[in-house]
Amino acid sequence: MKILVCAKQSPDSTVRVKVAGDGKSVDAAQITWAISPYDEYAVEMALERKDADASTTVAVVSLGAARAKDSLRQALAMGCDEAILVSGPGADALEGLAVARALAKVALEAKPDVVLCGRQASDDDQGLVGAALAEALGWPHVATITKFAPADAGAGSVNGIDVWKEVEGGHEVWRATGPVVLTVQKSEKEPRYPSLPGIMKAKKKEIPEKDVASLGIDASLPRPEMVKMEPPPSRGGGKIMKDGDAKQTAQELARLLREEAKVL
Amino acid sequence: MSVDAPPADASFDLELTEEQALVQRTARDWARERVLPLAGEIDEQAAVPRELVAEMAKLGFMGIDVPERWGGAGLDTLSYALVLEEVNRACASTGVILASHVSLACAPLLRYGTDAQKERFLAPLARGEKLGCFALSEPASGSDAAAMRTTARRDGDAWVLSGSKNFITNGAFADLTVVFAQTDPAKRHHGIVAFVVEKGTPGFVVGKLEKKLGIRGSDTAQLHFTDVRVPDDHRLGDVGQGFGVALSTLDGGRIGIAAQSVGIARACLEDALGYATEREAFGRRIADFEAIQGKLADMATEIDAARLLVWRAASMRDRGESYGPEAAMAKLFASDVAVRAARECVQIFGGYGYLRDFPAERHYRDAKITEIYEGTSEIMQLVIAEDMLKAASGR
Repeated sequence: MKILVCAKQSPDSTVRVKVAGDGKSVDAAQITWAISPYDEYAVEMALERKDADASTTVAVVSLGAARAKDSLRQALAMGCDEAILVSGPGADALEGLAVARALAKVALEAKPDVVLCGRQASDDDQGLVGAALAEALGWPHVATITKFAPADAGAGSVNGIDVWKEVEGGHEVWRATGPVVLTVQKSEKEPRYPSLPGIMKAKKKEIPEKDVASLGIDASLPRPEMVKMEPPPSRGGGKIMKDGDAKQTAQELARLLREEAKVL
Repeated sequence: MSVDAPPADASFDLELTEEQALVQRTARDWARERVLPLAGEIDEQAAVPRELVAEMAKLGFMGIDVPERWGGAGLDTLSYALVLEEVNRACASTGVILASHVSLACAPLLRYGTDAQKERFLAPLARGEKLGCFALSEPASGSDAAAMRTTARRDGDAWVLSGSKNFITNGAFADLTVVFAQTDPAKRHHGIVAFVVEKGTPGFVVGKLEKKLGIRGSDTAQLHFTDVRVPDDHRLGDVGQGFGVALSTLDGGRIGIAAQSVGIARACLEDALGYATEREAFGRRIADFEAIQGKLADMATEIDAARLLVWRAASMRDRGESYGPEAAMAKLFASDVAVRAARECVQIFGGYGYLRDFPAERHYRDAKITEIYEGTSEIMQLVIAEDMLKAASGR
């Protein structure tokens, strides 16, 4: 089985982001970049399949700034077989639909059986690229999956792919035939750390770079644009209730929660 | 003078390579997520969970600078220092298990072992299947290692070892010990030989486990050798070369302890910084007081300086240069920085710094050992001064 994972590089979730001077982007200084968490689950899920069946190959593609190469190197060190960087001027400013169209070109060339994407990126939370990629490819799409495996059609023959997805109070199993795009909720295990021997192996691998301009994406198509970014309002001070006995305090607390905080 | 473009031959570069940065990040993520939450309990229970050592093996830490051919990850000394800083930032007990294994057991096997010995002894250590230790110190000889009383007597195609070693890090759990013994006391250090002794060899037993001030999760044991027969193919290096094996091993080990010191000092700074920005006194954060800022600034400056000394010694080792005095400087300075940072950390935490509920007192207890093991600060001064005096007197 051939798997293609689409991984976006986004600010590491442990970093506190600040709005840049232009008021509509994130201040890139002081930011450490990482594979977006859901995409990291997608990488892990692909590698779990490879653990189960060593004939599986896992390629990972990232579209964005040149620094995304570091994240691809990390994915290789985790155990992916190959990595492709789609970069060049304007690559990190493409919006979701254009990204999906560009990734579709990469997928058509790579001819995977399965494309995995995280369910949404941690920076814009759009959750668009996976579904749009399926549309651009004309492939089916199953969302928020937790596991997939080759479908056992009996007598050891494989026909399609079984996909598990979480739903309220349980899970569903879907079967897809032919190539499919899956967006990942969570892998079975936490994403593995790259091992040091893995880092050494990854060091020896070339990461081919495609210029996004060469993919023929029409940048003049209508697109939404971010016009303003605001940090959440700073938290006001807490209230400490010191006076009164337990009963009075509880009554006052209930009143405050209902009338001031409006959470009851 | 124009500063538009750097000269083409600007070669002094403190940037990590892409691989080194990834190694650092892997170690940092792993240590923060897997080790740090356990650090308090490791100290309290005086035991590092064996799973953590198994995880370090899986990540390739246990053979980090051993070539791939011998089961290691094939990285450089600088990468090793990066990993040690991160692991020790989380937990110095876990850190010293790694440092002793890599610096003191793998390194002498790699440098002095025959191919057969590397295949047999080094590869399982580098893969992390087995744990190693280094047995040089004795009850009556620490810094003066040449005064050791453990003896090795030739008997046919074997040697018979007798004596005791103490202060042996990893001693209780190690599968393999690099042990030093005297073949001819009259020859002093020229009579010393290094051997590999495996766990379970008749006559070799683990004695008392020491109760320590700090790094309590790492075991420190006495080892006893009573007429222990060791085949000659377990001899590491030539007869009489043992003292050289010990000294060169400790040179490398000092880079490890220096990196550990930087890790401990960083824990002190990061914990103190976190506390100082939360705790309020007289209506403001204590971090807003100049007295606290001065402490934090000094800690940060000293830690960076110590790290640069560690990186210099590590990169000299990687380039194959002689690095003994530079490793000694790194350890002398970094251990001092760790002890001072720990003291200031407790001070910034105030009364809470004295309580077991907070990490400050653990750092305070953990830091002290860095000034003692793998060569005391006084021995470091001796190493540095001797080298200097040798150069000055043209010898």
